[in-house]
Amino acid sequence: MRHQTVFSFVSVAALGAVLLAVPIVIDDAFLINKWARYCCLAMLAVALSFSWGYAGILNLGQAVSFGVGAYAMAMHLKLKTTPIHTGADGLPDFMVWNNVERLPLFWVPFRSEAFALAAGVLLPVLLASLLGWFMFRGRVTGVYVAIITLATMVVINLLVIDQQAYTGGFNGITDLGYLVVFGHEFDPYALDVYFLAAGGLIAALLLGYLVVHSRAGLVLQAIRDSEDRVRFFGFDVARFKIGAFAFSAAVAGAAGMIYTVVMEFASPTFMDVPFSLAVVIWVAVGGRQSLLGAAIGALLVNGVQGALSETPLFLKSWSLVMGLLFIAVVLFLPQGLAGLIGQLSTRVRRAVAQSDRALATPVARSEA
Amino acid sequence: MIDVAGQLFTGLSIAAILLMVALGLAVIYGVTGVINLAHGEFVMLGAYAAWFAQSFLGLGLIESLPLVFLAVGLLGLAIERSVIRWLYSRPLDTILATWGIGVVFQQLIRLSAGGELRYVATPPSLEHSVVLLGVSISAYRAFVLIVALAAFAATWLLIFRTTLGLQLRAVTQNREVAESFGVNAGRVYASVFAFGAALAGLAGALVAPLKSVAPEMGTTYVVEAFMVVVLGGVQSLFGTVASSALLGELTAFIAYVSNDTIAKALVLLAVVILIRSRPRGLFTKAARA
Amino acid sequence: MSINRRHVLGGAAAAAAGVVAPVPHLWRRIADTAWARSGEIKVGILFSLTGTTAIIEESLHKATLLAIEEINAAGGINGLRIVPVQEDPASDPATFAEKARKLVISDRCVSVFGSYTSASRKAVLPVFERQRNLYFYPTLYEGRECSKNVIYTGAVPNQQQDDFVPWLVEKFGKRWYLLGSNYIYPKEENNYCKKLLAELGAEVIAEEYVPLGHSEFSSVVNKFRSERPNVIFSTVVGDSVVALHRQYRAAGLDPDTMPMASLTTSENEVAAMGGDAAAGHFTSAPYFMVWQSPENERFVEAYRRRWGRDKVTHFVSEPAYFQVYLFKQAVQKLSPSDITPENIREAIKGEEMTAPQGRVRIEPENLHTWLWPKIGRCGPDGQFTILKQSDRWIEPDPYKAYPNQRCTATGLKEV
Repeated sequence: MRHQTVFSFVSVAALGAVLLAVPIVIDDAFLINKWARYCCLAMLAVALSFSWGYAGILNLGQAVSFGVGAYAMAMHLKLKTTPIHTGADGLPDFMVWNNVERLPLFWVPFRSEAFALAAGVLLPVLLASLLGWFMFRGRVTGVYVAIITLATMVVINLLVIDQQAYTGGFNGITDLGYLVVFGHEFDPYALDVYFLAAGGLIAALLLGYLVVHSRAGLVLQAIRDSEDRVRFFGFDVARFKIGAFAFSAAVAGAAGMIYTVVMEFASPTFMDVPFSLAVVIWVAVGGRQSLLGAAIGALLVNGVQGALSETPLFLKSWSLVMGLLFIAVVLFLPQGLAGLIGQLSTRVRRAVAQSDRALATPVARSEA
Repeated sequence: MIDVAGQLFTGLSIAAILLMVALGLAVIYGVTGVINLAHGEFVMLGAYAAWFAQSFLGLGLIESLPLVFLAVGLLGLAIERSVIRWLYSRPLDTILATWGIGVVFQQLIRLSAGGELRYVATPPSLEHSVVLLGVSISAYRAFVLIVALAAFAATWLLIFRTTLGLQLRAVTQNREVAESFGVNAGRVYASVFAFGAALAGLAGALVAPLKSVAPEMGTTYVVEAFMVVVLGGVQSLFGTVASSALLGELTAFIAYVSNDTIAKALVLLAVVILIRSRPRGLFTKAARA
Repeated sequence: MSINRRHVLGGAAAAAAGVVAPVPHLWRRIADTAWARSGEIKVGILFSLTGTTAIIEESLHKATLLAIEEINAAGGINGLRIVPVQEDPASDPATFAEKARKLVISDRCVSVFGSYTSASRKAVLPVFERQRNLYFYPTLYEGRECSKNVIYTGAVPNQQQDDFVPWLVEKFGKRWYLLGSNYIYPKEENNYCKKLLAELGAEVIAEEYVPLGHSEFSSVVNKFRSERPNVIFSTVVGDSVVALHRQYRAAGLDPDTMPMASLTTSENEVAAMGGDAAAGHFTSAPYFMVWQSPENERFVEAYRRRWGRDKVTHFVSEPAYFQVYLFKQAVQKLSPSDITPENIREAIKGEEMTAPQGRVRIEPENLHTWLWPKIGRCGPDGQFTILKQSDRWIEPDPYKAYPNQRCTATGLKEV
């Protein structure tokens, strides 16, 4: 295996170790829940980093896959709560209040947990594949892709808010039951949900790096660097891009599902413009050309934001400080945090290589 | 019949506002490639400048417009010289930088001027309605339309009839070659950024009497402005006008026939389909991809 | 590969394994330790100070702080000082949920005062219900909620429309245009309104929703002009209100013949739209800043002295203020070791006080508040003239539009 690949997997393992160690140091249900939330957001950042940093697709609507996954889980968990209106069997409360008579057809399959879990990943994949086919077969690239993905997300967001009888509207889907998998109930304030989120993040990173270091990943990076050249080599560029787009959507959808379990609700704010732009910011801070960097960027930005806003001194000015930090990161860390780590690791590697050489020479001389 | 004409004018009014906001962005993005996510905040700052001029300097809206133009333009220049100019070689990083700048401005305004909705008075001379072709239209909206067209004309003249404009076009086509001809690209870029910011500020001041002034008012504008610019074709001024007009009329028409929520959704879908069918925008310059 | 690097990697792997293996079983339970200790009682304040809804929520934050400061200055609650823990949820439901968890779980606040939008209330509800804490919600809302962990001090539809709608029909006519922002509150209010109008034989000629934050109303105004309704029942919120009024006026429409009647236009929005755009339109609310009563005069004076001479009080900041006093009254009845969220809830049932709007009472059945609806018309000076005030306080019925459901002390019941 190449050094780069080893380094990637080792760093992911290191992050995994850190994440797993958190519950030992921290003994507060709120903090555990908070870090579980951040792990989900980091997973979303990994999804965007894959499509943006490795395939060159700036998806300004990444949050839509996240939101669809979140809603899939929420719909299932909502159907698990006790219906209040016994006349129509099993109708969620908001539907009753909107004078819906019968459970809409598209809600019915979500009673099944297996379907909901699959849908949370496959629905975003389907959506992304369609949109990807629409865009990439038409050779739409660059900023035009950004605009189309953004516009599509806003439309879906508007639709979800508008159809409040079927989606809960602006309030979202609230008052959910608990996720039960193989008899185990996931309590949002307990460690099992934290491990679910952290595990999801690690799995996303491992999967992402597997693809990135595969042949397909290499082709994607070539496409990012020069699309026409790859096309001239005979590759079906559109197919690779659609695949990358769909893979990102799958990861984002899974992240969304876990997020619903952590937050205990799903809301259209999970797929609106400010949130989607925030994901871009996390990835930019962490370094878009590194999956791990994006994850750490998300953890760091949200962590700092949370810490700042909880400090009474910064109660009114925490947002200002965040803005200044972003500007500082751009000016002084051109490749984000990952770039910084990259520079450090190069220096470490060089130092280690030098010591290797220093070790090697005496042996050679003594043999001679 | 009267309804149709009234709605036609409504579409023009919406288009005029879109154009004012998008024009500055078109110039900045078209020439420098900077993705200026702080553009909405320039609009917001223009609105606050108008409020400040009205509340503390006693100026009416029309008198304050030159002041707003200058103030926001100078601010844009300051931003460009301090932050943006280091980022021309890495345009994607401008996303993060301008986002940060936008947040900083929003919060600075909130902390200094307070978070309440602020009031900017309509100029008394324009408070009434005029009747044109049997349609009653708001005089102020007509004024905004005229100013928008004037701003477009001024921009066009600047780019196509002045030396600075010539340098600007040269630098847009190929920065290195233009510099080797003695054009100070740095100065051109700075002027462009300042001009784009000033236009946005002007838009904010013009829009303020139609609604209210709040620190977050800029965020919706930047998304809309980008759509207009990209749809029109990134380096085409006429493209910006055309797409503003198209989106404005389309919004007005659908909103009248159905409602504003549907209008927004359908207009966005139209943008998606239009970009797909013309992946380089409605009007493209043959020169660069 | 060098030995050095292998050592480093191996060491890291061993450390990771050593750390992962003996993860202790840490199931946290909220220990039953005293909530009020060392002379202090902690409460949470959860109103947005940044973001889009901060426009209103900041004033709620200020009103809550004012009440707390006044109570502390007067000796606290049985000598216990109220310590506010303030958080900024930034107008985002997910952040609301996170901050609520912090206040309830980490900070151990015995109650929390917060929320303006229903979305934010719904997002934090699971926290208060699971952790059995208490949330004081001061905002008018659409009703249909029956949580035993929330004290609702804002108006519900039956308290706002039962007097208002018939009065408007009688004064102006039967052709009504319903316009709202596109989310649950306006839709539910319109639902209720349509029922009332049907009983009165009035006609809804249009029902339209604009996106939240929308500010381009020229199409809507054109429709007003062509449809000529007698009353425009407006439930748009936030800066949409300002834009709507200004553009209505710029189009030259006349509030004497086609008034806008709103549940959401307060002194805040009026200040931002200018007196001439506000004049002639109507609002129904339990509270107006001009209301003449000794309590209100004291409240307005104290608020302005504390936060600025140019500030206004309105029908959401007034409940935010008086609900802290109701909290105080409830806690006063308990001995310090008995102060828990559940005991406060039991103690607050039936509590009454003279609020700036008049006498108010927490209804024990559904934890909502008995209020005094008033009808006001705005004048060119930006203040309301109160035209009609309810002669008795109105019982809150959050399920009035759904006759087969009732919120009782033991939860939602089907009848």
